Amino acid sequence: MSRRSCRTFITAVLCLLLGAAAPAWAIDGTEILRQVDHNLEPQSYEQYRKLTNIEPDGSRKEYLLYMVKKGRDRIVALFLSPASDKGRATLRLGENMWLYIPNVGRPIRITSLQSVVGGVFNNADILRVDYSAEYNVASVKEQPDAYILSLKAKSNEVAYDRLRMTVSKKTLLPRTVEAYAASGLLIKTLHYSGVKDFGGGIVRPSILETDSPLYKGYKSVMVDVQVRKRAFPDEVFTLNYLSRVQDLRR
Amino acid sequence: MKAAGIRAFLCCALLVMHGTAQGAPPIAEADSITIPGIEKQPFELGGYVEFRQEDSILNRGAPSYELNYPAPSGPDRLDRSTGTLQLKGKYSHGIVSFNFLTNSYVAQDQTSYQRDNKFFEAYLSLKPDPDFTLEAGKKTLDWGKGYAWNPVGFVQRPKDPNDPTLAREGYTFVAADFIRSFNGPLQTVAFTPVLLPVNADVNSDFGKPGYLNVAGKLYLLYRDTDIDLVYLSGGSKTARFGLDFSRNVGSNMEVHGEWAYLSNMQQQVVNTAGQVNLQQENVESYLFGLRYLTEEQTTYIAEYYHNGSGFSGSEATNFYRLVDNAVARYQATGDTSLLQNAQALSQSAYGGPTPMRNYLYFRASRQDAFGVVYFTPAVTLMADIEDKSFSLTPELLYTGINNIELRARLYLLYGDHFSDFGSKQNSAKFEVYARYYF
Repeated sequence: MSRRSCRTFITAVLCLLLGAAAPAWAIDGTEILRQVDHNLEPQSYEQYRKLTNIEPDGSRKEYLLYMVKKGRDRIVALFLSPASDKGRATLRLGENMWLYIPNVGRPIRITSLQSVVGGVFNNADILRVDYSAEYNVASVKEQPDAYILSLKAKSNEVAYDRLRMTVSKKTLLPRTVEAYAASGLLIKTLHYSGVKDFGGGIVRPSILETDSPLYKGYKSVMVDVQVRKRAFPDEVFTLNYLSRVQDLRR
Repeated sequence: MKAAGIRAFLCCALLVMHGTAQGAPPIAEADSITIPGIEKQPFELGGYVEFRQEDSILNRGAPSYELNYPAPSGPDRLDRSTGTLQLKGKYSHGIVSFNFLTNSYVAQDQTSYQRDNKFFEAYLSLKPDPDFTLEAGKKTLDWGKGYAWNPVGFVQRPKDPNDPTLAREGYTFVAADFIRSFNGPLQTVAFTPVLLPVNADVNSDFGKPGYLNVAGKLYLLYRDTDIDLVYLSGGSKTARFGLDFSRNVGSNMEVHGEWAYLSNMQQQVVNTAGQVNLQQENVESYLFGLRYLTEEQTTYIAEYYHNGSGFSGSEATNFYRLVDNAVARYQATGDTSLLQNAQALSQSAYGGPTPMRNYLYFRASRQDAFGVVYFTPAVTLMADIEDKSFSLTPELLYTGINNIELRARLYLLYGDHFSDFGSKQNSAKFEVYARYYF
């Protein structure tokens, strides 16, 4: 076979392969991700969240948070317990994050990769905004009962460079999310479970569990309760309001 | 089965048994757990009790030591035990709330016994709407973005750079807070005007009595950058204004800065003849800093601070010489007049924790170090750039037991006799404390 014939043959094979892959590309990954966000998070709501860090010997440390969220990327969390953390509050506005510590008396900027509670969850996990606010869909694959979305961070300010999300075809809710650094290192895996009807049309996972090869034997779990739709003014999601978040509780 | 395999099996079995012994409920059951603490209470009370033990090796002959122990036979060491109780409470009724923070302590060492009870904060708050708040009473304001220092902190007591997160006593004032949010590059505007009276009974240590001081802060969140414009009108203190900023650069780095202009700052300065002159000049103070987090969860904080009203090397040396002369005269003749002058000067700016012009602060802390969650070792360096003296503070912090904080710190001070850190009373101090939150 001459060199020219060889090139023609390879080109033809590539065209055939691309043609065969066409049905998979026809799936709109961006729309799937938008649906995932819609199903996970109501537009404006309040909730209570219990966060538990579990050590290899089984001992636990628990935090109780009151959280409010509005839109795609505004979220506030207030620590109600333990006593050592009571009154701390964190605010996220897009990629901006602040931590208010009552003793310090003013909010300080924090970064998404830090962890205000220690353990496997970092700030970006606890104050998670919509996936589509931070990530673009790089590719999507179809399995018999799930979609596999490969997500790429929109900027270097996002906590994880890439995500590999497994989405249930039936519910369009995520099952697992693998988070990778830019180096390709697997940082952690998030496992969603316990789909629950919170009322008001909110049906979504109530448990988020995570483990990490960087924290061998450790596990962190977030359990959501009392998720309720509620409207908040924009001023609630500001630095000056951070010390008064507890006044929102009813 | 090989010996190594048997060991591994036994380890696994023990771990499984240990885990079972903890009685931890499976995660799947967690959903059904009733979570206490959700109901909001009208009255909330919390706080902490702390026991602190400090063992100091004193720097005999250092100017600060001589001022406190002018007699020839002063102590070599000082062991100090301190018990502290802080209570924080809040009573809410509708749009009104009353907040307080008390601080009480007893302390004893070989030479003295001290105790004190204070309200650090006690104020009424009126919040008719999320975008407006009115507050009156005693409260701690904390303006500025710096970690160890705040040049724009015009209406607050200065931080202790050795422990910047400690609660501090506030001042009594009336303040409002207006907030507006927008869509677009300018996301937030907030304005905080403050009226702060000073007389013999209220805020007497703020400055000259007989004035109603006006201060204010305008906050902007513009293009993901925090910006504050701050001012304090003349009155009890001289007029001053400034600005600060802070923004994230990437997912693991934050940068910040402050700049302040202080008009007609007055300072008592010792000249080469040992005489005290009152200097008055306009000065600028500024600070630049960053906080950087590595993938391994090590946080680095670095700050450069220029203290415009600080002393130059020669001005400080003149003061230290004055102290040496005063102590020598006292020991030789019993004459305390010069010693009293020196002690009075040490109560002013000369005796502050960082009285000089240019400082560098560096801190490295590793969260969850060595695979132990809640264990944070850290080391802090604070240096006077001009005279090359410094303090080095390694520390260990453990917060793994619910509501208990355990910390051990070792302060090591280095520098010449007439240098900033070499002139301090201690050459080393070991400190441990246990704090229980409730």
